[in-house]
Amino acid sequence: MAQRKTERLMNLFFLLLASNQYLTKEQIRASIAEYRESGTAAFERKFERDKDELRELGIAIETGSRDAYFDDEVGYRIRRDDAELPDLSFTREEAAVIGLAAQVWDTAGLAGESATAVVKLKSIGVDIDTDAMRMVEPRLSAHEPAFDAVLTAATRRIPVGFGYRRADGTETHREVEPWGLISVRDRWYLGGYDRDRQAPRLFRLSRVTSEVSELGAPGSYEVPEGVNLRDLADALFPPPPTEAAVLRVRAGRAQSLRRTAERSEPVDEQTDRVFVRYASTRVLAGEVVSFGPDVIVESPESLREAVVARLRAAIEEAP
Amino acid sequence: MTTATSERLVRMLAMVPYLQSNAGLPVADLAATFGVSEAQITKDLSVLMMTGVGEYHGELIDIDLGALERDGVVYLRDADFMPRPLKLTTREASALIVALRTLRQAAAGDQLPAIDGALAKLEGAVGASAPVDVHLPAVDRRIKDTVLSALSRGHQLDLEYVTDARDDRSTRRVDPWRVFTEQGQLYLSAWCHRATDVRTFRLDRIVAAQETGDPVERPVDSAPESEIPAALFTPGPDTPYAVLDLEPEALWLVDAYQADVLDEAVPGRTRVRLYGSDPSWLRRLALRHAGLVHVVEPRDLADAVVAQARAALAAYDG
Repeated sequence: MAQRKTERLMNLFFLLLASNQYLTKEQIRASIAEYRESGTAAFERKFERDKDELRELGIAIETGSRDAYFDDEVGYRIRRDDAELPDLSFTREEAAVIGLAAQVWDTAGLAGESATAVVKLKSIGVDIDTDAMRMVEPRLSAHEPAFDAVLTAATRRIPVGFGYRRADGTETHREVEPWGLISVRDRWYLGGYDRDRQAPRLFRLSRVTSEVSELGAPGSYEVPEGVNLRDLADALFPPPPTEAAVLRVRAGRAQSLRRTAERSEPVDEQTDRVFVRYASTRVLAGEVVSFGPDVIVESPESLREAVVARLRAAIEEAP
Repeated sequence: MTTATSERLVRMLAMVPYLQSNAGLPVADLAATFGVSEAQITKDLSVLMMTGVGEYHGELIDIDLGALERDGVVYLRDADFMPRPLKLTTREASALIVALRTLRQAAAGDQLPAIDGALAKLEGAVGASAPVDVHLPAVDRRIKDTVLSALSRGHQLDLEYVTDARDDRSTRRVDPWRVFTEQGQLYLSAWCHRATDVRTFRLDRIVAAQETGDPVERPVDSAPESEIPAALFTPGPDTPYAVLDLEPEALWLVDAYQADVLDEAVPGRTRVRLYGSDPSWLRRLALRHAGLVHVVEPRDLADAVVAQARAALAAYDG
């Protein structure tokens, strides 16, 4: 079934591409065996669906009148200059980075799309030699089942609905106008306009618990001017530090604290005084407690109290 | 249309001009190029032969079956009607543009012009920007540039490196092999002269890097494929672990680390087995989340957490 459909779509595409003039529906029907062998109603159905499917692949089918004098019948064709990839010229280095970019995606992701894109570029004579550059090799993958549906929706501006598990575990239903996807710390997030909350929201794709359903036609909404997903994603990062703490740290210990410290000075042979900036008392208290007796808070008092409370909680665990 | 059907259609339409300008391509190369099996390529070719601008000889695409069966190479003819590939689809353009943006964040300063040039030309060709973005963690630019420079020139590197898990700081000389990302972090894999073994370094934990003038002793291609670490951390039988009871506020640890939820009912809590690269890392995790994470086993870990907390409290009470 799938094979016959692929064959039919290819034949329709080739027929419309090769023709210099508009072809009428009857001419198209006569040229493709499967259309010819179908009843009129079945042919109409298939033909309409096939045109839509070619359009979904970005292939524009032009309709027009076959004859300027008898404009009673509509015809179809595909304009070469609309369909074909124009010439592109890349420097050797640019071509090399495109080759490297094509290796970034995992098969769970857009590896297939990367491969066909590179083949198309090679077909128009772009010479891709990845040895021309040595670069970082990032990996991108998308294991989240909702990724494909959401990418399609964001690309075509189709509003979507889905089940969503909040951080506290409760299930909700969300209706969203997708603006785009962003990967932060190897996790995919959908950014968009939440219709119920009437505000921009970020959704973690791994928390989508249902199929993604389309709630409208392509182009149903506009993405507001100046939307930047990175600004939305800023909510995922710790706020900039506003507080200052002074810690006593055993010499040579607590390397992760020292790495981000403002400065440090020796107190004696065994101890340094380390000055750090922070945003969250809870987070820094956790970091301090994790080093046990190697890190002791001198100031501020609020941090000291948070640390002592957490140490007491640890001792209550004593068997 | 199902994704599989449209992927196949896009692939077969890409093959037509590609095979015309690359006559005699082996099926194996074609499979590698498209990232599908040779069997799939053979199936695609058999469908291609049924298509064309008409139904008669000369109108249908012709593939030299003799050459295909005898030598496993592809000669495609009678497809003059499609000499050029289709425009990039939005998904294809998105795939490359996002990958280029990702490369850009990880690139050294002198590599930016090539990336920006490629991005501008691709975005111009599709007339749109992709609705997908990637955020990589910020890394000290000087350190990244030093590491990448040594990598591309094949020079040894002197590193000062901090290991958070064991909380120590060390200096070592390495032969850089690859810089890559894994779980959203940047890593260097290298031959470490001190350990005389392959080591992986997280770039944000390199506190100082110096490119030496000495060429690497063990280039990456001298290493068998198996020595190059594929994934960073896969729990094995010897991986240290702890059984923990998590309060609801600490459940996110299951997502953030390597952990399995165990099938034991503990009222109000969730019992998990959580893996760590090192026992001291597990101890630090239990201390950090004291009150929300309760150590069930091993006993040494529970004891160590309490002992460390007592010693720290003594400093405040004293």
